[in-house]
Amino acid sequence: MSTFWNWKTAVATLALAVAVGCSGGGESTTPTNEGKTPDAGGTSAAARPTPTAPTVKAEGDTIKIGIVGSLTGDQKPWGDDSIKGAEMAVAEFNAAGGVNGKKIELLIGDSASKPDQAKSATEKLLSDGVIGIVGEVASGNTIQIASAAFEKSVPVVAVGATRTDLTDKGTHVVRVCYTDDFQGPVMAKFAYDDLGLRKVGIITDNKAPYSQGLSKSFEKTFKELGGEIVGEVFYETGQTDFTGPINEIKGKTPDGLFLSGYFPEVGPMAQAIRNSGMKDVKLLGGDGWDSPQILTSGGDAILGAFMCNHYNNKESRPIVQEFLTKYKKENGGKEPATTMAALGYDAMALILDAVKRAKSLDSVALMEALNETEGFEGVSGTINLKGRGGNPDKQALVVEIRPLAEGFQVFRKAYAPSDLVKN
Amino acid sequence: MLIGSLPVAGLDFSTLPQQLTDGLLLGFIYALIALGYTMVYGVLKLINFAHGEVFMFGAYAALFTSWALGYTPNHALGTGTPWMLGVMLLAAMTFCGLLGVLIERLAYRPLRTQPRIASLITAIGISLLLQYGGQIFLPLNQNIDSKINPFGGSLEIALSGSAKVDTVALDAEVKSASEKFDAYLKSSGEDAFNLKTDEGRSLRNAKQDAERKLRDAKSAGEGKTLVISYGKLIAMGTTIVLMIGLTYLVLFTKAGRAMRAVSHDFDAASLMGINVNTIVTFTFALGSCLAGAGAMMVATFYAGTKIDTFFGMVLGVKAFVAAVLGGIGNIPGAVLGGLLMGVTEGLVAWAGSTAYKDAVAFVVLILVLLLRPGGLLGSAKVEKV
Repeated sequence: MSTFWNWKTAVATLALAVAVGCSGGGESTTPTNEGKTPDAGGTSAAARPTPTAPTVKAEGDTIKIGIVGSLTGDQKPWGDDSIKGAEMAVAEFNAAGGVNGKKIELLIGDSASKPDQAKSATEKLLSDGVIGIVGEVASGNTIQIASAAFEKSVPVVAVGATRTDLTDKGTHVVRVCYTDDFQGPVMAKFAYDDLGLRKVGIITDNKAPYSQGLSKSFEKTFKELGGEIVGEVFYETGQTDFTGPINEIKGKTPDGLFLSGYFPEVGPMAQAIRNSGMKDVKLLGGDGWDSPQILTSGGDAILGAFMCNHYNNKESRPIVQEFLTKYKKENGGKEPATTMAALGYDAMALILDAVKRAKSLDSVALMEALNETEGFEGVSGTINLKGRGGNPDKQALVVEIRPLAEGFQVFRKAYAPSDLVKN
Repeated sequence: MLIGSLPVAGLDFSTLPQQLTDGLLLGFIYALIALGYTMVYGVLKLINFAHGEVFMFGAYAALFTSWALGYTPNHALGTGTPWMLGVMLLAAMTFCGLLGVLIERLAYRPLRTQPRIASLITAIGISLLLQYGGQIFLPLNQNIDSKINPFGGSLEIALSGSAKVDTVALDAEVKSASEKFDAYLKSSGEDAFNLKTDEGRSLRNAKQDAERKLRDAKSAGEGKTLVISYGKLIAMGTTIVLMIGLTYLVLFTKAGRAMRAVSHDFDAASLMGINVNTIVTFTFALGSCLAGAGAMMVATFYAGTKIDTFFGMVLGVKAFVAAVLGGIGNIPGAVLGGLLMGVTEGLVAWAGSTAYKDAVAFVVLILVLLLRPGGLLGSAKVEKV
């Protein structure tokens, strides 16, 4: 046997391994939202298929509700927070007596921050007989949860999945957050009006459906406002060296950069952007930045950047402060690190509210009750879903990233859906 | 300079020097890791797929050392000192050296007399074991705080002279517009981000316009500069020093001579009284040390780089390709291959397709294998079985 045969085989094996590794993530790149007109409130008119599988009845002494979150992997901060929030909502509901004498049993699945594992976790929950599922934060994972739940006619309440076409998966999907067709334009308008930027470059995570969709909606509105998008460069989740794309965009002399990806990459990228010599370029992003970890990974480079978020711990609405007090009591005096605790709480509270309103204790009735939601008071704002295609008309906040001592996310401006219609 | 303003076929030549330089600097890191692959292959004819994971553990060793030095995620320390970097480098190298030896002793040595495919599959197994097993007990998504690096700035080399732009008038304009806007904010008590009146908005717009004009004027006059962070320069210097050390070790010491003998003919070397087990252990230790040094430098100097258990995957594969490119088993070949890989990636990034730079690396590999099956510096000799 010649030695060359050996290592050539090895190269082939390796190439195969790389190819297989790539296709794992490829599954998550479902159709883009090209050709869809963004509308501020998210009143999507696209036909949402209705699941036709027989309804799942709540059997036994408890009502089983599932939650899928990232207990491991990149997005662990979000998974931990959303599950903590959901557990609080369940505990409150059970303490208040449940419904029809039945209590809620919460089943937890780990998506490991990966779409394929989100899918298998969902299938496990479905086989355990849940009548409703809460999750997830990342859009790529939620798309998989939605597909799996469709087969069983089980409703899904997405926590922080903002990708616009997510709710087109079926009438069983609703969410408690705004969509990227709202948050992208919000940041575009903020960049144009309040920061006075005219030449913005976009850096997109080519492996995250969330990032791709958000970049598109930002670009569209920024151009409509009269700004110029000087270029768009790409990287992939997990990439560690960003010099290539950053040098490329630097050559186009932008006055602002829109980083539509997630915090694990955005922090280091911010440092690389400053190190490349782009010292005064303004940095902007979406709710994918929402974790204090961005402060350690981004260092001084991320300070003064602006991101879009769902709500703010400093808000004076009584429900926010009530939630914070309870959360702190159960978590050793700590405030939630990310917004996902409040959204996880809202998503679970919404589904439990729908359980109460549902005509019968089964998944299809629950799905109908969810789509009939009107004036539900959540921590992150009032949620209306009736006739809205699963997308609530919530406000978005623009916050500035400041050091932890100053509160990490400092509120700058709030946008209601009506603010974007025409100024 | 002419080259900065010459658009040819849509390519922007002004970014070429920067992309090439960054590619070359990254190439030194590839070369350092590729050395580990090539040395082990030279001695054992085994492709150590777990090398990328040794590299990953090196980054963790550096991370934990930085924590031990006080730079934990919530520290309040100032800038670090050079000796801290030295400690991190030594810790990463030592840990990786030991880990490499351990992997060889536990996983590869028992299989040495078995068909080579068994060792190869074991190597892949070890690699996966460390990647996924590490997730159980290692903290994920960590960063070495960039403050520990005292060499934070960047070297800026002017490529073309900057034209003298007279910004006095524009500066004054910005100043007066900002003053007017600030005065308005003060008198009305409004928040700059939530202006209530048209007067406020028009004052804000005037200020923004003035700032934009100043920015455009400045950037028009700006010459092209090459920006290299000092950290990356230090990484390159350290790599070169390590490579010189390795060359000395392999060419001029007894252990090096024994290594070359084992690589030339394993059985004959054993018959000549060389303790091949010691030499194999030594080779693993050496290659892994270099990977540890590379890992520490990537994790520290490529600011904020995220460390998780897949840290070594992409860089490991690239370095392996670099080793094959240069001719696996050939030490200068690994260095050449690494540098070539880096520069190629820089070129691809410059040509405006950063998304494809990984794919191009593999295309280069396939081309080299087709044209020179032994790699650039390797010799393709057919062995008789």
